[in-house]
Amino acid sequence: MTPRLRVLLVLVTAVALEGTLLDELRIGGVSVELLLLVSVLTGYHGGPERGAITAFFAGLLHDSIVGAPLGLHALVYPPMAVAVSSLELRMLRSTPVTDGLAVLAAVAAGQGLASAVGMLFGVLGSSTDEFVRQAILAGILTAVVSAPVNRVVRWAATGGLPGTIELRRGGS
Amino acid sequence: MAAPRPAERPRPTLLLLAAAALTLLTLHIRGAAPLDAFQQGVRDILEPLRTVTDTATDPIQTAWNGIFGYEELLAQNERLAEELARLRGRSVTDDADRELLERLLNEVGLDYSQLDTVVVRILGTPPGNFGTHRIEVDAGSDDGLTEGLAVVSGAGLVGRLEQVDRARSTVILATHPEFLVGVRLVESQDEGLARGTGRGTLRIEAGIRPDADIAWNEAVVTSGGRSILPADIPVGRVIDPDENAEYERNVVIDLAADLESLSFLNVVLAPSEADPLDVDTGLSGSRRQ
Repeated sequence: MTPRLRVLLVLVTAVALEGTLLDELRIGGVSVELLLLVSVLTGYHGGPERGAITAFFAGLLHDSIVGAPLGLHALVYPPMAVAVSSLELRMLRSTPVTDGLAVLAAVAAGQGLASAVGMLFGVLGSSTDEFVRQAILAGILTAVVSAPVNRVVRWAATGGLPGTIELRRGGS
Repeated sequence: MAAPRPAERPRPTLLLLAAAALTLLTLHIRGAAPLDAFQQGVRDILEPLRTVTDTATDPIQTAWNGIFGYEELLAQNERLAEELARLRGRSVTDDADRELLERLLNEVGLDYSQLDTVVVRILGTPPGNFGTHRIEVDAGSDDGLTEGLAVVSGAGLVGRLEQVDRARSTVILATHPEFLVGVRLVESQDEGLARGTGRGTLRIEAGIRPDADIAWNEAVVTSGGRSILPADIPVGRVIDPDENAEYERNVVIDLAADLESLSFLNVVLAPSEADPLDVDTGLSGSRRQ
């Protein structure tokens, strides 16, 4: 299976899960942002370009299921994927905790940015406090489910191959 | 760690994608029909899956709500108990108020209960975390619904249909800050444009004369006219007539319908949708009232 097909499969599965099962399981009225998670993880594992393109289509699908104007999330998700990819290259050491915090921050930022763009285009009118609460809660919930999704996205983006091959000198 | 990718050039790709997204966004906001159709198609494909999931996850959802919604349930229970006690104490006043409202509505010849409606069940909030003050109902274009139709409860206006798919629709509640409705004050006969405040009330932002004589508790109904919402649907009562305004009055209306405890709603069919000869159109006839 080619990487494109694998990413397509992951996107279709993610949109089905986000529109069905995950929509039923809400905490404080907020649900997991699975498509945003897939976007940032594709940026992390697949690089900025693949991440951005995947994020664009993830955004279009997200717009369709949540009823937002088409293009709104597609505008927000690609920069988030590129930012995560860029950040990943600059990180000296990553641990599960820092990765989890990075996912939380990325999802909260993406969710907040989408709300801000929605307000800018006059399609959202709720209070800023509510948006901040939603963004933080969505970030936490999404970070909680990110471990299994990470494995799937890594498989889709890299075909299961290791991202880097570390060359070490033998002998010592 | 992912591999460094020196050959990748994300900036031109990102710019291209941003331009595409902005183009789509602009076209959609300007009302490009194919984009609506695309989104509706995606939702319609997911619809059977959602229905199956809704049914299959009912026990999980009940358990989930039991765990994560217990505090909220307790708070709601307490609030309802308080409300019940308050209502019992005020029953005489309420009876008098109801009589007054009915009298007022009769005086101006309102025929709210005679509107042709479709009964819908509330399913919950729409998927995702985009936006608030919206609910999803279990009827759509297959039931003869179209975007913009008024949604009411027994107490009055609840909102209007914002998105209509084949089997589901999204209702934007009257309290949403983007919800606009033309209203008429029943006693003073002043008309204005009311907007949701996001806090359970509406505010009349334009159209009211600065010297209009508006009473506290005055009944407010929809004005109809050029609006897609029919005239004379009860909206609520004036709780702040803004008597001290110098230039523009911002009259605050308390919504008559209680949006917290809704299960079923009525969608008011547009006059052209209603069958004047009372002939069954075959559009979900059992839902029609």
